[in-house]
Order: sequence, then structure tokens, then C-alpha cells
Amino acid sequence: MLEPTLQEDIKQKEDKHSFSDFMPKYGINALLPPLGLIAIIVIFSILTNMRIVEANSINLILSQVYVLMIACVGVFMVMTVGGIDFSQGSILGLSSIVVSYLSFYNIPLAILAGIVTGACIGAVNGFFHVKFRIPSFIVTICTMYLFRGLCAYFTTDSPVAAVISITKYNVTWIKVLLTVLVLVAAYIVFNFTKFGITLKAIGAGEKGALFSGVRVELMKFLVFVIAGAITGFAAFLNVIKVGSITATAGSQLETQILIALVLGGFPISGGAKVRFYNIIIGTLIYCILNNGLVMLGYDSYVQQLIKGIIFVIVVALTIDRRTGQVIK
Amino acid sequence: MAEIILEAQNVSKAFGITQAVNKVSLTFNKGEIRGLIGENGSGKSTFVSMLCGIYPLDEGKFILEGKELNIKNQVEANLNGISIIVQEMGTLSGLTVAENIFLGHESKFVQYGIKNTAAMNREAERLLNEYGFYHINATSMVDHYTFEDRKLIEVVKATYFNPKILVIDETTTALSQHGREELYKHMKRIKEEGNTVIFISHDLSEVIEHCDTISVLRDGELIDTVKSSEVTEDDLKLLMVGRELGSKYYRTDYGEPISHEVVLSVENVSIPGQIENISFNLHKGEILGFGGLSDCGMHELGKAIFGAVYNREGQVMLADGTNIDSIPVAIKNNMAYTSKDRDNESLVSNETIRNNICLPSVSDLAERGMLWSKKLKQFAEKFANMMSVRMANIDQFVFELSGGNKQKVVLARWLGKDSDIIILDSPTRGIDVKVKADIYALMDDLRRKGKSIIMISEEIQELLGMSDRIIIMKDGKISAEFMRDPELSEEDLIKTMI
Repeated sequence: MLEPTLQEDIKQKEDKHSFSDFMPKYGINALLPPLGLIAIIVIFSILTNMRIVEANSINLILSQVYVLMIACVGVFMVMTVGGIDFSQGSILGLSSIVVSYLSFYNIPLAILAGIVTGACIGAVNGFFHVKFRIPSFIVTICTMYLFRGLCAYFTTDSPVAAVISITKYNVTWIKVLLTVLVLVAAYIVFNFTKFGITLKAIGAGEKGALFSGVRVELMKFLVFVIAGAITGFAAFLNVIKVGSITATAGSQLETQILIALVLGGFPISGGAKVRFYNIIIGTLIYCILNNGLVMLGYDSYVQQLIKGIIFVIVVALTIDRRTGQVIK
Repeated sequence: MAEIILEAQNVSKAFGITQAVNKVSLTFNKGEIRGLIGENGSGKSTFVSMLCGIYPLDEGKFILEGKELNIKNQVEANLNGISIIVQEMGTLSGLTVAENIFLGHESKFVQYGIKNTAAMNREAERLLNEYGFYHINATSMVDHYTFEDRKLIEVVKATYFNPKILVIDETTTALSQHGREELYKHMKRIKEEGNTVIFISHDLSEVIEHCDTISVLRDGELIDTVKSSEVTEDDLKLLMVGRELGSKYYRTDYGEPISHEVVLSVENVSIPGQIENISFNLHKGEILGFGGLSDCGMHELGKAIFGAVYNREGQVMLADGTNIDSIPVAIKNNMAYTSKDRDNESLVSNETIRNNICLPSVSDLAERGMLWSKKLKQFAEKFANMMSVRMANIDQFVFELSGGNKQKVVLARWLGKDSDIIILDSPTRGIDVKVKADIYALMDDLRRKGKSIIMISEEIQELLGMSDRIIIMKDGKISAEFMRDPELSEEDLIKTMI
């Protein structure tokens, strides 16, 4: 950690050469994500001869949106306090297995168990992060492997299949309803409660928040539990879509979430400048980009290459150099 | 006529809509100590930051010995013979003293691509001895040293190469009397060598005593340059503020009895290795001053009372028997705390003024668990206006404000919480006379309203002027206690500190 003055010097020097010189201080940055969404729709409409805006393409894109968007909500909160959660994919995988097992008995019970599973993994993350003061990216990388291992154990012989009849829930209105419910609830909590305001304060300055009476450790623990629980809930939508769970279910979800949030304009170090719309716009941009590249017939490695390049450019354009620190 | 060494021509700098420095033209002579004074936000620091290459100039130029300066950072500034001792911590943790002294100039000790660390350490050791700082070891990590010693290391770093221009930005507030004397000595030495010192300080008596000439800035503009032998502190205050300051600066009352009602009792509070068995009572409507050297433990004590120290022993009890053992409990029971470390602890710098003011009060502002932004805005605006915070709007980020304005935001949030017991650690640190007067007036007002204040301060004048009672700490223990008395002098207090 650099001392303040030197940090300030570096900040000044970096600012001199940063892209932000070419933009007004406020305003344009906030408009970039929606403009990006429009731009990406227009670009892919042209490149695919309007195929991407046909009904079946839109349906396909939307079918990929639900799980990602819901999972983004939890990570959004984790990243607002300045943390990160790389174990999201493993949470989705393990929760999906639990949902599948229990779907033979009782669907509401299965949903609940999925949530509890996610919450428990989140609690493990939060506990080690807070009590042992391990940076969250290290803790969650560890738990990512740990719980991925558990997924592999449960799926060693064969994929875990859910009850066949579960696919009857795989209808658009249910998925839209559940997604909207999660979004609305999180929106209210984030913007209109003490919980939300303190999350942002922790991200903007942990010590300052502590001295303002915020129970920083408890809050950090809770966001990991909530992030796990929300993704555990998304596991239900995952199961009704895929029907049976393999060892790799949900893998790479964490990077998808990260990319989606950043594309949506999320400041990667969290804090006061995060906006709820980052989740929605980011997820849409990501899914359209993903499908557009598939439609254009690129090989998967080219797709990854393009996504990687876009990610780096967006982070370089939007990262807040002032905070000086990135992820805790 | 003395020889001109440095000339500033129409230097300007704006941050967003704020014109921090506005067409300032100044000349500096060889062999003078020039004071640079002005209120917070008057542009002093910005001006010298441009000189040292920390900020680029918007307009105008600096001419050093007839050549226009074009420097982009502090290392280039050093090469041009300009160095600065900054207001905040200017040494880097995790490096040795020697590495800090020669930061940016390591190439002096590089031969065939390999740095000769032993030679560097020897050279640093030699410099430290030459300066008389025998207790500082060149090969130790700077982290081992106190804030004051680290400042002394900076003095070496900034002056060993005989700079033509040395800028000292508000450094003395961090130093004890001894440290200050050391600094003055080197200012004088540099002057006698025919070089120039630019000295920024809020302590006007110090400026008058040690400077030859004094330039006054107000709102980014140069007001006047005067000879220090021809002015008084009051003249300078008038120039800085632009209007006569009221005679009331500190409290003027003496002999008012302190209430017998105890609102807070501190019993045998210790923090291993820092403070030992501190006990005292705080009375209703009392300003209780704490003084001592900066490492005497009083700052830690302030934190400990507020429940912010995890390994505290002993008890901090309210009148109703509540034990204060964590920050949320303290705040819930209407205690407030402002830290010496304003940017990190008193405030959430990367947040808006609105949220900073509302944060401790969010539980009170919620209606059935919901917070409405209109209500938060009204609340924040009310108290920001009460403290007359100078801001673009309530959603401005706090890090954009000047030091005095930040402190006003800090006080506004605790006024908003309607705190009854207020712990103020270094409330006027680095703050100009006008805001200082505002803060003293506020403290007096709070006292009259029956609020109790613990004021921890390294400024003896402030302790004498504002406190009903003064407790002096030394080496983590209470060493003396004084009652408010017009006869009490600085020397009386200093004797018990050392």
C-alpha cells in the first residue's frame, strides 16, 4: 500500500494520460453502458442481416439471461463492498445438484434447499474472508475448487438428473416473473434501505464506514451469504432449463458475471458509483454479444478472444483510478 | 535589490469549476524565506504543487534563474533544484530510511547496472549524522519511526542536495517543538547558503518569526506580499480573510463552575503497549481537553473511549451504566468521534456529502425500514448549511473538498445525529483561521446546550483557550490535570508533557 501523497502523485500522473481526459467528468460515463447496449444491438443486427432480432433468436438470448442476471444480483452486492466471488459457478453447480435430488420429493423444498446450499457456501466464503482476513478473491478461488470437486464427486458415475416433470416449469412467464421478483427485491434493498447505503459506504471507504457505526465485518459476511443464496435460487432456473446436472454445470459463471457487470458500467472496485442498472444492461450486453458471435459462426476460441479484448478495453475505459486499490 | 531566483508569471489552475489558482504572479529572491499563507482552499498547496510538477499548469509559467521550467514530476523538480516537504506522510512504508532519502536518485549508486546498497547506506548514515539525527538509523525500515521522525527523514531527503528552492507545505503541525526547531534550523541554513525557502503554515506567529517576507493568497488570487517585520498576526488575518475577524476566537469566559453531573466515566482503561490505567469522569456541558506529545497515547485513548479499539481493557460507562464496547453501541448512545485521520476515519472520502452526513443517522431516518432519497437529501442539506459547507451540491464527493470543508462535513454529520458526548481528536488540524473560529464557536455553543466534549489536541493554545479542564498525558499515563484559568500558561502544560 502506497502512502497517500505518493498515491496522489501517481494518480495525478496517471490521470494525465488517462482516457477520462477526453470525456467530461460526469455524465458521459453514466451514458456509456446504455449506448453500448444499443450499439451492440445495431452492430449485430447489421452483421447478422437482422437475424439476431428475430423472435427465435431473442428467445434464445433471453433463455440465457435469467440465470446470469439473477446470479449477478448477489455478486453485485459483494463487489459493491469491494470484494469478489469466484465461487459462483461452483455454487450454481452444487445447488443445482441439490435441487435435482430433491425435485423427486417436493419442488418448493428443492428450491429452498438450493437457496440454503448456496447460502452455506456463501457463509464459508464470508467466514474465511472476514474472520481470517483473507482477501475475498483468494478465499473464493479456493472454495471454487473445493465445491467444484464436490460437484464432480456427486456426478462421478452419471449426471444427476432431476425429475422429468420439472421441465413443465420451463416456461417464459415463470422465468421472467422469478427474475423480476429478484431484481425488484434487490433494487428496493439496494436503493431504499440502510443495508444498501452501508454497502456502498463500505466499498467507498471501509475505515470511514466503520467509524460511522457500520458493522463492517457482519455486513461483509452477510453479502457473501446473500450472494450464495441468490445464486442457489438461480439454480432452480438452471435445473428446469437443462434437466440434468454434469460435473461442469455452472463453470465459468463467475467470469460471465464479472464480464457482464463490467460491461454494464460497474466500477470494478465498488463503492459509491455503482448503479443498479449495471446488472440489467450488463447481462443483456453479454448475452447478445455471446449469441451474436455464435451466429456469426466464429469458432469458440475466436469468440473468447473477442470477449477478452472487449473486456480489457471496457475495464481500461471505466476503471476508477482514484481509489488506487482494486479488490479486497 | 536582491537577486531574483524564481518568478511565477500568471500561473493558473482550475479543478472543474473551481479556480484554485488565478493568475498569480510572484517573484522570489535569492536567500529569503518566504511565507505563503491563506485560508484553506486559497490555493497555496496548489500553487506549490504546480511548482514541483505535481500538477500541470493550466496557464502561465515558472521561470527559475531565467529559464522557463518544464517539469513533470518531483524527481525532475529535484534535478532542477526544487524540492518539497509535503503536508501528509511523504515517506514510503516498506523501504529503509536510506532508500527513502535517495528515492528517485538511486542511479547515483549504480555501477555496471548494480546498485551499491552499502554505499547508499553509508551516505545516508553520514547525512543523518551531519543533520544531528543520531537516533535514526539509515538501514532501518521507516515504519519503525514515529510520524515526527519520518518528517525529519523527509527534511534530509528534501535538503541534502542543497536545493535552490525548498518548499515546506504545512509540515510543522505534525511536529513537536523539538522537531520544529530542527526544521527552522535547516530553513535558516538553506537561506544562508543563498537559496530560497517557501514556507506554508497556518501558524501565523511562526510565519512572522521565521519568514522574511510573506505572500498572502485568498480564493486563488495573490492579495499582497508584505515584510514580516512590518506586520502583526492581526494584519495577516485581515489580509487572509478580507474582513476583520471578530475578537472572539477562543472562549472568553472564566470561572464558570463545571456541572457535577457525570455523563461518562472512564475506568482503568488500558491498551497493551499504548495506554495504561486511564480513569476520569466527563461532566455535562464540559469541554475536557487532552494534551500531550503526539505519541503520548491520547489519540488512542480517544478511539478507545469510542469503542474503536478491539483490545481495550477497563470500562467506559455512561451515566445509565451502559458499557461502550463497540462503535455501533457508542453511536447508538449518542456518542460522536472525529478522528485525527480525517480522510480515512472521519469520513468515507469516496462518497457523497449527502451519504457522509446521513450515514450515522440512517437508522433514525428510516421509515418502516425504508430510506427515501428526498428525506436524506433534506437532512444532509439542513446540516451542511448549518455548518456552511462550501460545496457545488450535496451530491458532490467529499474527496473534492478542502480540509476545512471536510471537517465541516464531519461535524455536520454529528450535529445531525444530535450527539451528547463528542470526542474531537485534533479538530482544527490543518484548518485555517476562519474555519477554526467557526469550530470554536460551535464547540462553545454545544457546551452551552449541555453537550459534553472531549477535545484531544496537540495545539496548546487551543487547549488553554477552549477547555474547562485539561488532562495532560505522558507515556500512556495521565501526568497532570489543570482547571480552566486565565493565569495558566503554555509552559505550565509543556513541563508536564515532557
